[in-house]
Amino acid sequence: MSVVNYGTREITCKIVYYGPGRSGKTTNLQHVYSKLPEERKGKMVSLATDTDRTLFFDFLPLDLGTISGFATRFQLYTVPGQVYYAATRKLVLQGVDGVVFVADSQARQMAENIESLQDLHANLAEEGLDPRTIPLVMQYNKRDLPASEISPVEELDETLNFRGVPHFSATAVTGGGVFETLRSISSLVLSRLSAPAVKES
Amino acid sequence: MAKEPQKTDEEEGGEFADFLADVSQEIAQRVESLDPSIKKQPEAKKTPAAAEGRKKTPIAADAGLIVEWPNVVDRIIEEIR
Repeated sequence: MSVVNYGTREITCKIVYYGPGRSGKTTNLQHVYSKLPEERKGKMVSLATDTDRTLFFDFLPLDLGTISGFATRFQLYTVPGQVYYAATRKLVLQGVDGVVFVADSQARQMAENIESLQDLHANLAEEGLDPRTIPLVMQYNKRDLPASEISPVEELDETLNFRGVPHFSATAVTGGGVFETLRSISSLVLSRLSAPAVKES
Repeated sequence: MAKEPQKTDEEEGGEFADFLADVSQEIAQRVESLDPSIKKQPEAKKTPAAAEGRKKTPIAADAGLIVEWPNVVDRIIEEIR
């Protein structure tokens, strides 16, 4: 769980973008990075293959500066969507505070979306996190594709969003829906912000 | 309902500022409600373990870069195999 640390006056939240390969997870981070003011631009670490697919993970530290006296940092990660990088996905999920599930709206990708969502739940459970309660937001990406190629939002929601969490249509390649998604997951994560545990005895 | 992704250039320019404003407001509310200074003073044994920080996600001083690279590299090599 994200923690407000009164000792070091820090708040740090880790958000992971999860989803099948080529659903647009890296594109989300790239858009966020492109909108950062120069003075806040750190390094976006992106390990990609020659075909621009995420090989291991992307990492974007968001230094939000001092808010209410606390140095506030968001850490945005993506996981590699390809099935064979299971170990890396588990690694990236360690200590996660919130998850954005980036689904590919293309109708032919529905099976991949479902498989990835099941993989997410399994990996969260392995990390000792409850998939039913961890802050989660669904993003239905690639809504700019022809209607004949994509599933209706209602169908995506019915199939993938059984928790009824906030969901957003997005066209990450042009930035549509990217910050709406980030704001939503940030709000959910921050609403669970807690002070470090204080032992009663 | 899903929100429509349509945006104007002007709106896009303020996306980060809007995000920061929302986050700031949320944090201000949470910090105020959690601030130990406005609660009763804890006894010596009740001092928050603040210096310990989070256990699952090691945070380095430089914007949270991964500090357990040897472990990460091992896992990456394992995947490549």
